Amino acid sequence: MNGDTTVTGTVSHLLTPEERQHWKLSWLSTVDHKRIGVLYMVTGLVFFVFAGIEALLIRLQLMVPNNTLLGPDTYNWMFTMHGTTMIFLVAMPVLFGIMNYILPLQIGARDMAFPRLNALGVWLVPFGGILLHFSFLAGGPPMVGWFAYTPLSETPYSSQLGVDYWAVSLLVLGIGSVSAGINFIVTVLTQRAPGMTLRRLPLFSWMIFMNAFLVILALPILNAGLVMLLIDRLLGGRFFLPFGGGSAIMWQHIFWAFGHPEVYIVAIPAFAILSEVIPVFSRKPIFGHEFVAASTVVIVILSLLVWAHHMFTVGLGRAVDLFFVAASVLIAVPTGVKLFNWSATMVGGRVRFTTPMLFCVAALLQFLLGGLTGVSHALAPLDWQTKNSYYLVAHFHNVFVGLIVFAILGGIYYWFPKMSGRMMSERIGKWTFWLMTIGFNLTFMIQHVLGLAGMPRRTYTYPDLPGWGWMNMVSTIGALFMTAASILFVWDLVRSLLRGKPAGDNPWNAWTLEWATTSPPPHENFDALPPIRSRRPLWDYENPDRPDPVVPVGGALDTFRPGKNAAGMITFIISEAGFFGVLILAYLFYNATTQSGAGARELDVLKTTIFSICLFASSFTIWRSEVAERRNNHGKMKVWLVATILLGGIFIVGQGLEYWTLFQRGVTVGLDLFATTFFTLTGFHGLHVCVGLIALMIVLGVGFTRTFKKRHLPALGPVGLYWHFVDVVWLLVFSIVYLWPLIR
Amino acid sequence: MTTQQFLTSAWTWNFAALVSSGVALVAYVWAFGVNRRIVYLLAGLTVFVFTLCSPLNALAAGYLFSAHMLQHIVLLLIVPALLLMSLPRWVSFGRRSLAISNPFIGWISGVGAMWLWHARPLCNAAVSSQFVNAAQICSLVLLGTVFWRQILAPREDERMSPPGAVLYLFSACVACSILGILITFSPVSVCPIYAQPLADRLGVLSLVQSNWGITPDKDQQIGGLLMWVPMCLVYLVAIIAQLARWFAHPVASVVASVHPQHVRSRSGMD
Amino acid sequence: MNLHLVSAASCIADVIKVFNPQSPQARAIFDFAIVVIVVMVMIFAVVVGIVTYALLRFPRWREGERDPEQGAGHKTIEIVWTAIPLLIVIILFVLAARTMGISDPPPPPNPDIMIIGHQWWWEARYTDSGAIVANEIHIPVGKPLALRLDAADVLHEFWVPELSRKMTTVPGHPNHIWIQAEKPGTYLGFCSEFCGTQHAWMHFLIVAEPQDEFQKWVQAQLVAAPSPSTYNAQKGLALFQQMSCVNCHAIKGTTASSQVGPDLTHFATRRQIGAGIVDNTPENLRRWLRDPQQVKVGVKMPNFKFTDEQVTELADYIETLK
Repeated sequence: MNGDTTVTGTVSHLLTPEERQHWKLSWLSTVDHKRIGVLYMVTGLVFFVFAGIEALLIRLQLMVPNNTLLGPDTYNWMFTMHGTTMIFLVAMPVLFGIMNYILPLQIGARDMAFPRLNALGVWLVPFGGILLHFSFLAGGPPMVGWFAYTPLSETPYSSQLGVDYWAVSLLVLGIGSVSAGINFIVTVLTQRAPGMTLRRLPLFSWMIFMNAFLVILALPILNAGLVMLLIDRLLGGRFFLPFGGGSAIMWQHIFWAFGHPEVYIVAIPAFAILSEVIPVFSRKPIFGHEFVAASTVVIVILSLLVWAHHMFTVGLGRAVDLFFVAASVLIAVPTGVKLFNWSATMVGGRVRFTTPMLFCVAALLQFLLGGLTGVSHALAPLDWQTKNSYYLVAHFHNVFVGLIVFAILGGIYYWFPKMSGRMMSERIGKWTFWLMTIGFNLTFMIQHVLGLAGMPRRTYTYPDLPGWGWMNMVSTIGALFMTAASILFVWDLVRSLLRGKPAGDNPWNAWTLEWATTSPPPHENFDALPPIRSRRPLWDYENPDRPDPVVPVGGALDTFRPGKNAAGMITFIISEAGFFGVLILAYLFYNATTQSGAGARELDVLKTTIFSICLFASSFTIWRSEVAERRNNHGKMKVWLVATILLGGIFIVGQGLEYWTLFQRGVTVGLDLFATTFFTLTGFHGLHVCVGLIALMIVLGVGFTRTFKKRHLPALGPVGLYWHFVDVVWLLVFSIVYLWPLIR
Repeated sequence: MTTQQFLTSAWTWNFAALVSSGVALVAYVWAFGVNRRIVYLLAGLTVFVFTLCSPLNALAAGYLFSAHMLQHIVLLLIVPALLLMSLPRWVSFGRRSLAISNPFIGWISGVGAMWLWHARPLCNAAVSSQFVNAAQICSLVLLGTVFWRQILAPREDERMSPPGAVLYLFSACVACSILGILITFSPVSVCPIYAQPLADRLGVLSLVQSNWGITPDKDQQIGGLLMWVPMCLVYLVAIIAQLARWFAHPVASVVASVHPQHVRSRSGMD
Repeated sequence: MNLHLVSAASCIADVIKVFNPQSPQARAIFDFAIVVIVVMVMIFAVVVGIVTYALLRFPRWREGERDPEQGAGHKTIEIVWTAIPLLIVIILFVLAARTMGISDPPPPPNPDIMIIGHQWWWEARYTDSGAIVANEIHIPVGKPLALRLDAADVLHEFWVPELSRKMTTVPGHPNHIWIQAEKPGTYLGFCSEFCGTQHAWMHFLIVAEPQDEFQKWVQAQLVAAPSPSTYNAQKGLALFQQMSCVNCHAIKGTTASSQVGPDLTHFATRRQIGAGIVDNTPENLRRWLRDPQQVKVGVKMPNFKFTDEQVTELADYIETLK
């Protein structure tokens, strides 16, 4: 069988006739959100195979006590890669894929707000994944666990390049995720169909919208931590090395300030899928839409507030523990509201046990257990016993697999007809479901007991203590079931893509806008849209006798539709603020006590003040330039723009000179904590100034070309915003680094 | 001294607080009469007087940074909110006072009050000087009122719209969290006067430090955590109220397009 | 029947260490755990009940049938199922705070034992007597002991499920816990924070014994190693002092005093080699000396490529270290 022609044949309906000639190129160069969504999901699927094989080998190694299938180091890199891959290269890409495909359709948009940025985001995933796996060829993969606790992940204890590849790869993926987050926010804000007010957003879209805020707030924290780790490893910095004055616990704070929201970044899309699938197959609207929607907001905010519960055993002190027990257990309330509402949705409905519904109901119940064991981790005294044992492993797999993987499978069975135009097999789907459910529960239920029996996580083998052997055996047998289910699922995917029953526009009789177009949708999604007056436009359309109550338009923000460039830049600035926030907090923490040795005394405050004034002045010049542009005075605009670039250039040269003087005196990154924090903070600011200068020069260059003579320069406003932001950051940095030592 | 003795004896009759509360009550009744909303006023004034007369105030005056922080949060967030809620729904702040109707000013007032009063010299002065202390209390209530006015103005049309209010409150929560985090984990004393109390006026220093086990570094940690977690929970409660307001929005503004139509066609899009 | 129940219960206690507390600290956590489990089971049952009711009580969907009543929510119900969980978590919080006080009281100024985590073994220093031991920590029965936890390299975590909470050992950030055993016995402890290659074999034993036996043990630990009497053992000692053994290990009574690796002064009294990976038998000791990397891959002790003769001499000497 010739693969090329078959694939071309099946995907032919996704391509225009011209594209059919070059279908590979048209997929590689695509900016269509639907294809990008598919690319995300396919990438995730490929890495799922890797991480799945790793999981299986881990379970085979643990099948019997004192097993020697894998050596300790092999086992250690395997669980590191399994965790990292599953979270960053499977869960996030697949969910982003579903979001990318469905969100614009559900809000009646033609595409995402920034299609090219979207393409960048998707291609960063394989790039980051390849970087991570390149470590195999460059001296060995990382062996530090997915949260790479310092000081184990520092050069003295992990001297191979694995951790560096791990950090760079996560940085790449983090940047990609932030770009996707920005795109989701701006898409919801600016690309909604007429009538689709914010309060009429279907729950899936609403949750993705909220989730995107979490993405742009949380990922930059990780990025800041990663650059600090890389500076430690590559430039001899001292952030996290206790023996160089740094703090090992600082890394945990930064990692979990990202890591806890990260759990919700992958859980909220799963909630979103459940909130979509359960009503459709109960033939009822969701119970308490407002409460489910509002509880999402509460979860997003609380999730940013509770990271220290990952650190109850690190010894933060009784006060910190108590406050974070209080904040953490509170999350159970909005999460419980969700679970109750999903359950209540089914009450009084006419349930259809299709495969997507089966997966979602199982996800609900399994997450119920995962959530309850989560409460037991939030209660510090129980966490003191169960943390880092197999009980914890069981808990988070109940969330990551029991909820998220099941929701993803449900979501794919649900939307596959829309994406491909073909149904997946109900028969194979039910086999997959039962194999998966039995396998999952066999694998992970018993691990709760194992953990209480004292088995610590991340051990490559274990002694033959009473009960440990058979419990691990049961767990491994479960893993084999899950493997079978996964193979069956992939087979069903391929089979259905090639020979599935045609689906029609709306095979499930669902009510949101993605079902109002053909399957798969045409290039720009809709030929026409039904009127949107409630959260279920297709229900209203099909049941004119009993439409949903109209959701009124209330308040200006309900129909708020900002310009997409400004909105994009502001969201980007918010995420950048998070990044600098971490660096500034780290600077303050490490320099709170005056350091001995070269410190702020080495800095030339006067010279830097002069250069800083230049930078602050450039905020004024770029503002003048914008005013001139608004008045169509292109000459003046260019003059002010040139002045801005010159002033920014002077600042950068000044900073370069300062660095040079410091280097001459032997003050380099690795000298002491002050130097490490100083160069990191000012260096990243300098980098942002350079990026701003490049952007300004591009704007200027465009201004000089003929094409834009008579038109507006839409890029100037956003670039100006960015430039102001860079100046504000410098105002903070300058006050903290240069002025603060003078007054204290 | 035992804890019980302390809790019964450390009440002070803060004359200014009692008088100003009395004046506020009389003024309220004179202006608005006795109505249902006076409950909020009474609650607000009770909390206000309690904060300034109870043992909490005694602890805040030189013993415990955390007690001072609790006082701070109550005066900035709880009292002004209750006062604003007590106003009848027709009271308008008007559009004349441009400065306080600007959300940005409101935000800076609420957050700035927190940051400003924890600058080391001001924080110390607020303990050592009666005058600065009084200025601090007045400014907290005033700035808190300016902050909450955006959310709790009596007239619906003078409030921020709910999604904006959520952002307003959330960003304030973040800004206060950052300060809370700094105070919690700072290896140096934020307000040194609490670390080395000048005089043990009430003779309860040993009670606080040995019996309660609150050493100066723990004290500062608790203070930071109060600002970080419970203060954010106050904002969160307000956010939940805003969400309730948004989703329950009963505005009966009729939607224009009720007849089925094809809103957009593919060819019509550029 | 009754007998079966008893044996089943003791079997469960045998396996599930967390549910077999042997100290007031661990028991406080266990008691709280029981409360939490009861609450969790109740909540689980309620939700499963709602779902089961929904799935069984109402007719299934049939093709072409009219959709059911489109009920979209109920405010009172929402408030109830927000308020009740809120109440539950508040109660749990109060109970948790109480449990924290019992299971982890504030540390005294001077700890009884200083524990130091190394890659991949545990060092214990008794502050009163000055005894230094590795991987086998004796404690007197019934007496609460304050432990100060520190690390020499990376993070480790000290965990004896039956006796106390777990606590990370953080380099540069000493932590404190209390430990106590109500009954004599040997309790297995683990490192539960991933710490590198041999994290899996960083076990240790807590041996709880009556006060007088404990005193005898401590006194024995303080005695310097006797000079060997047999020819082989004397050659072994000479070898030990010539080779780089002394760069890492200490044996009191000899010139070896380095604190990098475990103190070997009373090596022969220990039950295990390599932090739990094998029992301390003459056979295993020889295997270890022949090539430690074969027994415990990645262990910091390199393969010295001793000849068979040297291995015998060293082993003969080390076996005298009682």
